[in-house]
Amino acid sequence: MNLVRAASRRWALRHPGQVVLSVLGVALGVAVVVAIDLAIQSSRAAFEVSTETVAGRATHRIEGGPSGLPDSVFTRVRTELGLRASAPVVEAWAASERWEGTALRLLGVDPFSERPFRPYLAGGGPGLDVDVLLNDPAAVVLPEALALDGGLEVGDSLALVVEGRSRVAVVAGTLTAADELARRGLADVIVADVATVQRFLDRPGRLTRIDLVLSEEPAAEAAVLAELDRIVPAGARVLTVGTRSDSLSGMLRAFDLNLTALSLLALVFGMFLIYNAMTFSVVQRRELLGSLRALGVTRGEVTRMIGMEALATGVVGTTLGLGFGVVLGRGLVRLVTQTINDLYFSVTVESLTLPPEVLAKGTLLGVGATLLAAWPAVREAVQAPPRMAQTRSLGEDRVRRLVPRAAVSGGGLVAGGVVLLTIPSRSLLLSFAGLFAVLLGAALLTPLATVVFVRAVLPLLGATVGILGTLAARGVTAALSRTAPAVAALVVAVSVTVGLGVMIQSFRGTVVEWLDHTLQADIYVSPPSPISSRAEGALDPGVVERLSAVPGIAGRSTYRGTELLTDDGLLRVVALDLDPRGEASFRFLDVEAADAFGAFRGAGAVLVSEPYAYRNGVEAGDRIELLTDRGPTPLEVAGVFKDYGSERGVVMMARTTWSQLYDDDRITSLGFFLADGVDTDEVEAAMRSAAGADQAVVVRSNRALREASLEVFDRTFAITAVLRALAFGVAFIGVLSALMALQLERGRELGVLRANGLTPRQVWTLVTTQTGVLGLVAGLLAVPTGLALAVIMIEVVNRRSFGWTLDMQVGGGLLLQAVGLAMAGALLAGLYPAWRMSRTSPALALREE
Amino acid sequence: MSPSKPPRGGTRDGWAALLLLAIPVAAAVFLLRGDASGSGRGGDASATLSLVETLGGADTVGYARATEPRPFVFPADHGPHPDFRSEWWYFTGNLEGDDGARYGFQFTIFRGALGPPERASAGVAAVDGSEVASTADSSNDWDTRQVYLGHFAVTEARTGVFREFERYTRGSAGLAGAEVEPFRVWLDDWELVEMEGDPGAGDAVWPIRLTARDTAIGLELELVPRKPPVLQGDRGLSQKGSEPGNASYYYSYTRLGAEGTVIVEGEPRPVRGEAWLDREWSTSALSDGQVGWDWFALQLSDGRDVMVYQLRRADGSPDPLSKGVVVATDGSARTLPLDEFEVVPTGSWDSAIDGSTYPSGWTVRIPAEGIDLTVTPILDDQELDVSFRYWEGAVDVDGTSGGGDVTGRGYVELTGYAGADIGPRSGEG
Repeated sequence: MNLVRAASRRWALRHPGQVVLSVLGVALGVAVVVAIDLAIQSSRAAFEVSTETVAGRATHRIEGGPSGLPDSVFTRVRTELGLRASAPVVEAWAASERWEGTALRLLGVDPFSERPFRPYLAGGGPGLDVDVLLNDPAAVVLPEALALDGGLEVGDSLALVVEGRSRVAVVAGTLTAADELARRGLADVIVADVATVQRFLDRPGRLTRIDLVLSEEPAAEAAVLAELDRIVPAGARVLTVGTRSDSLSGMLRAFDLNLTALSLLALVFGMFLIYNAMTFSVVQRRELLGSLRALGVTRGEVTRMIGMEALATGVVGTTLGLGFGVVLGRGLVRLVTQTINDLYFSVTVESLTLPPEVLAKGTLLGVGATLLAAWPAVREAVQAPPRMAQTRSLGEDRVRRLVPRAAVSGGGLVAGGVVLLTIPSRSLLLSFAGLFAVLLGAALLTPLATVVFVRAVLPLLGATVGILGTLAARGVTAALSRTAPAVAALVVAVSVTVGLGVMIQSFRGTVVEWLDHTLQADIYVSPPSPISSRAEGALDPGVVERLSAVPGIAGRSTYRGTELLTDDGLLRVVALDLDPRGEASFRFLDVEAADAFGAFRGAGAVLVSEPYAYRNGVEAGDRIELLTDRGPTPLEVAGVFKDYGSERGVVMMARTTWSQLYDDDRITSLGFFLADGVDTDEVEAAMRSAAGADQAVVVRSNRALREASLEVFDRTFAITAVLRALAFGVAFIGVLSALMALQLERGRELGVLRANGLTPRQVWTLVTTQTGVLGLVAGLLAVPTGLALAVIMIEVVNRRSFGWTLDMQVGGGLLLQAVGLAMAGALLAGLYPAWRMSRTSPALALREE
Repeated sequence: MSPSKPPRGGTRDGWAALLLLAIPVAAAVFLLRGDASGSGRGGDASATLSLVETLGGADTVGYARATEPRPFVFPADHGPHPDFRSEWWYFTGNLEGDDGARYGFQFTIFRGALGPPERASAGVAAVDGSEVASTADSSNDWDTRQVYLGHFAVTEARTGVFREFERYTRGSAGLAGAEVEPFRVWLDDWELVEMEGDPGAGDAVWPIRLTARDTAIGLELELVPRKPPVLQGDRGLSQKGSEPGNASYYYSYTRLGAEGTVIVEGEPRPVRGEAWLDREWSTSALSDGQVGWDWFALQLSDGRDVMVYQLRRADGSPDPLSKGVVVATDGSARTLPLDEFEVVPTGSWDSAIDGSTYPSGWTVRIPAEGIDLTVTPILDDQELDVSFRYWEGAVDVDGTSGGGDVTGRGYVELTGYAGADIGPRSGEG
């Protein structure tokens, strides 16, 4: 054993570069997986903590429709049902210049009802001053940390923008969190009395919800639920507390899964790297291994030796990777959070959560992937016969025999992947399984493709570069055990780059086109919203009136959007008072616009967005049911329109229909059509001054809104771009190490050539031609593979994730870039070996080891 | 000793006022306490109220004061007096089931003001300092400076089970309040409400239905006065300290017929018996040197009712403001100064919570009325472990009155014996 271990150690010491590269491969792969995982988990954890902190110990809640619940429901819960464990809540979004960029949650509570619910209000000390909270109509209580951060002390006044309305609150006290969890959950919460928040919102008599603690005993719970049924108004529902947060976090599922899949790609590249490095190290030591076997070392001991090396590489690499991952995660969490805030809901991630299971998963993946990738190397080592010498050509022969087999399994994988993808299911896991199968299949097909390609270009190379070209090309096929994995890794990396690039390009192109026809109005007005991608809150009726009276306006659409909790999660429901000029905004999938609008303007009909139709399997003419203030109401689908604004789907109804179904007359945003020849900038300015000081409104021209929308889009894909770059980086290092090893290994061969008169310059030509050929093969193979991936991502993954159809748009530049990237990588990898070979004296090279 | 509890007696009203003063603080403490609501045995002593803290900043500015006798007008005076800091509707009574089972009950709704009544309501200021919402717009159903506190306790003599409950609720949004026409005083689903039907004795609000329920116990009673209301002190002005205004307005119904149902563990049991109502409202604070009181409300079999309270001073002596009243069968009442009655404890009981010692069992003598009574609790442990600890329990009475043997039933209230380590003002010497 000592002999074996010493042999291992000696080898590692003499090939530090190789060891470093293997370790780096594992480290980077693990780092990306862990970083993405951490970013996702941290944003999730922040969301959950803040949801739980605000929900407190409630088991159920009564939620109203778009207009909330009347106070009287709470009064009846208390005085008729005697449910003491009940608490009224008014929740609103707020912002303040003191905490730029932070969306604050304004929580209106009845302090006397809070004890069974939100223990953090019982934070100890004189935190919650009931007296002041009730006596001052603008009193608010802040968490200590928030007050400190905002430089606020008790008694200070605090300017807030509450769902667009400018309000001045008075800091009546601070809350001391009982523990770390409460502190994090409370990070962005401002507490005030119910009356205060209702006043801030200008919504007297309306509650957001009523929190309840019901008995866990089923019979008692059922009895209370039955009693509640009696007093809960139509349009309101009694839900278990998990329902809303489940549907909120459910929205993130597709997003999270997409990110995780991307991060796994990085690990796959890492595996290529390890496979390559380990196999190479074994091949280099065939003679040594043969000698060891001859000295009586058993196959088991050889297995253990290589296994231990792989394990050591895996452990060291994984450890480094975990460290990198945490650092990288800190950066990524900001991107993930930004996207969540743009698209889904507001969440503040204060710190990176380090759940042990993420680290454990990373370790398992890292070490496991290393061992898996090292397995072929172990097998190869064991097969080294106990002889003093073993020609490598024997090994290469075997590898060449493997080429058709690999191609067949590759073809099988691709076919299997395609079959998986065509299974009519909405499962994302299935989609990604299919995607990976196609990708790996393509990788397994590369050796064959390489052989075929080299055979094809051989005459060409011979003609252009001469004998050296032929020599270089032959070298590629002669060392297939080295070159094939390198080419495969490069193909995978570049094709993923191509695939993601095409997908993003198509997506963006589709969204641009959609924005162009959707944004028909000249000027849009909405209150500031914590979620960039959609308008929230309400415009003050007076503001609406004043804005509409601004001269130069030819027409107006009003928009009221709200999130409705349905059995399938949150649904966006929109009431639209559409100016006829705005009809061009809609592109219908299945009906004529005139027919759709005919039905839409009548009663009882809705328009639904494509994702909604996809998710719910409905089409024009079908009926859907919505819970309205009149109870469950059937509505006819008048048409399905294209929409990229909400992945969960949108149901739109005419304002007149809305007014019949919901007791809600609020307006979320306005679209103005200007008369011909009117200057947009002037009207915008007039509107800003007409809005007045009591409501902060965002007045945007068509162009500005379009730009803002694209900005959100680009931010959304920022993380994809980062991952794409990271994945490519890992693959690049892999290719670099593989090709470098390959060239270094050829030292003896080159030595012979040099001894036979090859000039250093010719060595350069030989080496760079060879790596150039490899790069070209990889680049050319990557283009079709990448396009296939793009098709899968667009037609399957995106559709299943979000229900969107995208028009595939392939830019030639992107493809050229891919081939160029592959070649550049490959050529770069040849530089060092070429430099070294050209400088080494032939005699020295011949001595080999 | 220090925990406070509202006394209802003439002198007790100093404490009582303080209690209501204490409500904001109590509410805060209530919120800050971690334990569950309802019958809260075993709350930690440190969380109970200290009157010293509570009353430190007692501010009477802006409130009405009880400075001179006033005409009492019914039914208006059954309703709330929001200009005063504090007020209560305090019922106690003894009930008997068809099967002879014996029950005692206490049902109290306290009203307390968080601040003096406001004349103008504040609007919401805009950023530029202008008032955005008009006064009318900014008023809100939830707005209030009134807080309601409820205590409900039932003693079951047969099983020896005593249950007490406490609730705080804001006096707005229909959650709690007091109204005169028709009469209704409520806190969540605890309620005193004027019943439809024949007016009873006295005035139009009677009979009143009392409804209270909580975990494992409920009470529904129809209450009818058997005697007219008695104005305590000087025509209803009950002086508690030497300073003018340091007094309350106070009247009592010393004998109410009660009939209804006690619901134990979901099982309704018909009951009947007699109850006592104290109504009191005031603003001003506790006198120096008072640490607690012993209060007795006794209904005798000869038709007479006796109320005496003894205010205890830090040095152990009874405060000269201690008083009593004897109400004859026809409702005529005679006030007793301290030197006309004598209360002597005959035993003691140690609190199950922390071992604090309460007197338990007394002799009550009023020589001029020929009254000599032995007063015995029907259960030792009738201590309320709520925001402020006190003992309020049903008692049996036995002895002589006007020369003849009498029996009777009643309620005794003991405050200032348990809780925080020092009593009001005692620490200040």
